[in-house]
Amino acid sequence: MNGMATLEPPSADPGLLVRAWRYLRAAIGNLAHTRHGAVGCVILLLLAFVAVFAPSIAPYAPLQQAQASLAPPSLENFFGTDNLGRDIFSLVIYGTRTSLAIGLGAAFGALILGGTVGMLAGYFRGAVESILMRVAELFQTLPVIVVVLLTVALFGSSFWLLLAAVVLAIWPVEARLVYSQYIKLRGMDFVAAAKVADLSTAHIMLREILPSAIPPVIVQVALDASVAILIEAGLGFLGLSDPNMVSWGQILHVAQDYMTVAWWTSLFPGAAICLAVVGLNLFADGLSEIADPRLAGRMGGLQP
Amino acid sequence: MLRFVFFRLLHAIPLLIAVVFVILLMLQLIPGDPVQAMVGDFPVSPDFRAAITKQYHLDDPFLVRVYSYFVNLLHGDFGYSYQFQRPVLDLIVETAPRTIVLTLAGFLVAIPLGVAIGVISGTTRNKRVDRFWTSATLIAYAIPTFWFGQLLVLVLAVHFGWFPTQGMGPLVSRAHGLSWLLERAHYIALPALAFAAYEGPRFARIMRVSVTDTLGQGYIITARAKGLTRWAIIRGHVLRNSSLPLVTVVGYALGSALGGAVLLETVFTWPGLGLLLVQAVRVRDNMTVVGIVIFAALAIIVINLLVDLLYAALDPRIRNS
Repeated sequence: MNGMATLEPPSADPGLLVRAWRYLRAAIGNLAHTRHGAVGCVILLLLAFVAVFAPSIAPYAPLQQAQASLAPPSLENFFGTDNLGRDIFSLVIYGTRTSLAIGLGAAFGALILGGTVGMLAGYFRGAVESILMRVAELFQTLPVIVVVLLTVALFGSSFWLLLAAVVLAIWPVEARLVYSQYIKLRGMDFVAAAKVADLSTAHIMLREILPSAIPPVIVQVALDASVAILIEAGLGFLGLSDPNMVSWGQILHVAQDYMTVAWWTSLFPGAAICLAVVGLNLFADGLSEIADPRLAGRMGGLQP
Repeated sequence: MLRFVFFRLLHAIPLLIAVVFVILLMLQLIPGDPVQAMVGDFPVSPDFRAAITKQYHLDDPFLVRVYSYFVNLLHGDFGYSYQFQRPVLDLIVETAPRTIVLTLAGFLVAIPLGVAIGVISGTTRNKRVDRFWTSATLIAYAIPTFWFGQLLVLVLAVHFGWFPTQGMGPLVSRAHGLSWLLERAHYIALPALAFAAYEGPRFARIMRVSVTDTLGQGYIITARAKGLTRWAIIRGHVLRNSSLPLVTVVGYALGSALGGAVLLETVFTWPGLGLLLVQAVRVRDNMTVVGIVIFAALAIIVINLLVDLLYAALDPRIRNS
């Protein structure tokens, strides 16, 4: 839903705004009619609500150590407590913020970086194409989690560094997609017409080709967000995420040491990760069904 | 074929050099003392400092350093671990076989699983069955491997006590021959299962697409017209002809197994290359981290090269294009 809003950039012109709103409403309506898209939308809205209103929903401050440690789920602590006596329900609620921030931030970063590279490589061809696409391939050689691990190992793991590391690892997929779109579209008649009309290269790239290239790219952005959430969770699980953030993965890191005595430390945060990733994947699936009904049921290249 | 091998090599070698170059560039970008950047958070004696500066040409320009690093690599020198007080190559040689064993055991479960699901959902005439497997794979994609591993430990190891919770084998073992093998299989079962839960659905997806493609071919219609049974068609024509893409995917998965191993080996304390990498990152043993990552990059590039060559050998259309 948020993704579709970017199809029409907001503008002060009321006519445009009205048009954008109509478009958005139609997109939501279409999405709600796809089976997967509707479920995905509901899950994402729920998570966004939880993230925004975390302080009102969580019964305890996330790092408050007021309870008995390793207490099983009860009416005071819905999801039990961890080894330090922190309420896991509150940790999971606050963890939504971290996961969504990393997911949206990394997907946006990958869109900008990968999109720019893909656009340049796809439009100009020749030396620009071969150099840029070789660089993309270079970053795809190692598994995503290894690239992030290496970056974090050498430079540290504050929120922004982590975000940069994830973007560095996932941008090539976005670049390849935009690249293939531009390769396909640049040979079309409307581009030839724009060239004959003597429009500037920037105008052709951004105003003529870009709008047609967007639908599959938005699908990829949703998939990128789910990959980013999985990577952050994995890094947290290894105990290498930003220690100042509350995150689902970090609770699982604690759970690893207390698994034999406290199953609740593992079950609930893991279920939260699954919910977020399933939500994004279903959402992406619904979007791709709208963009191209023949591709319904397709799953993106998830490789955390 | 020779032409294909030549061009494929022409592609692989610069990639290999570029990967090492970028990783060294990252080391260069760490602020502060370059010796500490290489060694990590360890107190370094003046002797060691001098030796390392000389060996890695830390006083020389960047390109000289890259060159000397390659010379070292060609001599089998992947650096020295200050944490473990051993050459990094020794550590890799010790741990890599364990990761390979775990990966192969995982494939043993994942490939039959993926082929079965892919063929069932690809050949079914029942839309519901196909839709069920599509949704199931979609959800399976979302389950983090390490969390699924924890759940397996919680249920099958802690609750039922059927499997050990971690490790590669008992500390003391008197088992020999077949019982030794069974003992090992007991330990590897859960990690292999967690691995298969992750890779299986990916194989299933490839297989499904490939099976659907194959079913559209003319010879399937011929086989039907000959009156062959459904099962005979699947076994004789569909399975063989749609397995080719799976060869590639399995090959690439083998190359990138280290990625999954990092998380999986941590869950089950399986002392392979992935766990070694995580331990090295935790104690900030940079030389070991970089050594393992460069080794992994070499392994991936070589394996992908072999996979492509194998694919070209199996399918003449590829090598002639």
